Amino acid sequence: MYLLRVEGLSKAFGTLRAVDNVSFAVHAGELYGLLGPNGAGKTTTLSIIAGLLRPDAGEVVVDGVHLQDDPQRARRFLGVVPQELALYEELTARENLEFWGRLAGLSAREARRRAAELLEALALTDRAHDPVKTYSGGMKRRVNLGCALLHRPRLLLLDEPTVGIDPQARVNLLDFICGLQRDGTAILYTTHYLEEAETLCQRIGILDHGRLLAKGTLEELQQRLGGDRLFVLEGNLGDAAPDTWPGFAARFRVIQRTARQLVVAARETRDPAECLRDLLALPVHVENVTLKRPSLNDVFLQLTGRDLRE
Amino acid sequence: MNLWGTLLAKDLRRVVRNPWPWLIHLAVPLAITALLGLAFGRGGASGTELGRIRFGLVDEDDSALSRLLRGGLGQGEGGKYLEPVVLDRATALARLQANELAAVVVLPPHFTRDYLTGRAPVTLELIKNPAQSIHPAVLEELLGALVTGLNALARNLAAEFPAWRAALEEGADYRRVAELIVRTGERLDTLRRYLDPPLISYSREVRPGEAKAGPAPNLFGYLLAGLGTMFLLFQANIAMGDLYREVAGRTFARYHTLHARVSPFLAAKGVFVMVMVLTGAAILLGGGGWLFGLRWQHPGVLALLALGYAVFAAGYTAVFAALVTEARAADALSNLVAMALGLAGGCAFPPQALPAFLREHITPLLPTAWLAESIRELEFGSAPVDWPGILLRLVALGAGLLGLAAGWFRRRFARGQIL
Repeated sequence: MYLLRVEGLSKAFGTLRAVDNVSFAVHAGELYGLLGPNGAGKTTTLSIIAGLLRPDAGEVVVDGVHLQDDPQRARRFLGVVPQELALYEELTARENLEFWGRLAGLSAREARRRAAELLEALALTDRAHDPVKTYSGGMKRRVNLGCALLHRPRLLLLDEPTVGIDPQARVNLLDFICGLQRDGTAILYTTHYLEEAETLCQRIGILDHGRLLAKGTLEELQQRLGGDRLFVLEGNLGDAAPDTWPGFAARFRVIQRTARQLVVAARETRDPAECLRDLLALPVHVENVTLKRPSLNDVFLQLTGRDLRE
Repeated sequence: MNLWGTLLAKDLRRVVRNPWPWLIHLAVPLAITALLGLAFGRGGASGTELGRIRFGLVDEDDSALSRLLRGGLGQGEGGKYLEPVVLDRATALARLQANELAAVVVLPPHFTRDYLTGRAPVTLELIKNPAQSIHPAVLEELLGALVTGLNALARNLAAEFPAWRAALEEGADYRRVAELIVRTGERLDTLRRYLDPPLISYSREVRPGEAKAGPAPNLFGYLLAGLGTMFLLFQANIAMGDLYREVAGRTFARYHTLHARVSPFLAAKGVFVMVMVLTGAAILLGGGGWLFGLRWQHPGVLALLALGYAVFAAGYTAVFAALVTEARAADALSNLVAMALGLAGGCAFPPQALPAFLREHITPLLPTAWLAESIRELEFGSAPVDWPGILLRLVALGAGLLGLAAGWFRRRFARGQIL
């Protein structure tokens, strides 16, 4: 069952089409990743779903409730963690949590109880009475996350929650997010970190220039490249012209090409040894050939012609 | 606690955690009031009187006439206002330097001889203390009056002067001095008909019912009423600036992810501005009153007027928040206009000192003038004050501005220009 359904979403700022006919859905209890470089339209998509921006076209349905028809009811199911630290720095973590709990409709007692629970879960109890401005970046990120969880939302929107924190804090935060998902919270997670999308998300949508280029599980996306392996040819390939090599285009697809490297995928499922023999027989001097599992970056590369890390 | 209460409590808690910007804005008008009050009228214990003018008197003539003059200065009616301290020149100048004297008056050597013989022009020397303004100026005026009197005497009694000089310098017997007094008295008597009654005079009428035995004018209170009125607008500006901080810090967006309607957030911010202005008014008037020894005669009316002004201040700052996108631009613009409203409203100067056009056509339209003048008239004036009318005007104007600002803000919000 879909907890979130996004259909034909579009949003333009002047001549810039920030979101262009984006459609996807998130199941209950699923962690869905929206992967894309900066400026791909991830935050705009999330802002529309959170009700912060009005779309030019398309619809958002949260647990069967159309956001445009009943925005207040749809909001009850949502917890939103913005990319920025939307906190009151003069207040303590406990005060921030209790405040956002009260705003989410909890009674004062319930807000206090939930705040204590979350402080414990986020390992912040020791510093609960210190002003947030005295916290490290990782601790602030945890409070920022906690503030969206007071009312136990069924769908959590996370906008790049690990930006700007150290690796250890990142691991802790990701563990906490996995725990939420295991407890049944559906999560829409935007990121430009490949590793996060690969390791966390059950399904991934790849966004670029406002368009959703591909979506599916990691395996489904890898399958787009023709299987679960890629061949990396290294050598002096500056003058190579794969289009002119006899039979090459029928058997292989070029994923990436540089002066020193050629990454190709087999068009059909074939024996790797047979593929290697074909590649070594190419009319070009190859110094080394390696096999690797296709990554999301390779998928992105194949879809856009650009490296996601660029 | 409802939504408004939760939002307001959060803002107030943040103020308590970081009160410095607020306190500085409250301290400034108190400090300026204290400085100006001390500079322009150090005052007596009540702060309402000019006080005795303490000045140094250097008698380099040391004659019978000069001794008579210096003795007479601190006696009788003059003693109420003047406190001459007879010193030598060096000591007098040192004490002037130490700001212990308002001025030094020097009676030059041969003062009596030159005056009575008319041999040479007589010049009294006045050395004013530059650190004080009112007392030296008053002393200068008094010295002017004294010189005029001495000149009049010299012109009318010139024939008597040689005899007087001889009596004073050579030491005449009582009979001769008595003759001189009688003769001079007779001459003065012949002048009486020219002086008494005076040829030109004026009458002063106080109509029954118009006169009101109000408290005496108080410079500190007068200044505080005006400066407080102006600085409360700055205070309101800081409070409304919090809306920009909430937008920039994304806490406003976070609120909007929980609530579709933004009006409760905006309304709570408006109430926050009013609470801060009222708190500021209480500190300024209450604390200022304590600091400067003022006893407010109408605290209830002042509180109501401050409430009305708080509504106006909320509306005033909300208009800038609704129209100006950039926080810094809004801050600068709002403060600039607040200063203009304050100056043109007679907050920093007495309205009588403003240019005629401003005073007659602009000042009466300004809410700053409504509040400042109301406080001054209520507390230190004698004219009746229509405070319910002023309260109504302040509230109506504030509510109108708040309504306009809310409409403009919502329109910008709907266009996606806020988030």
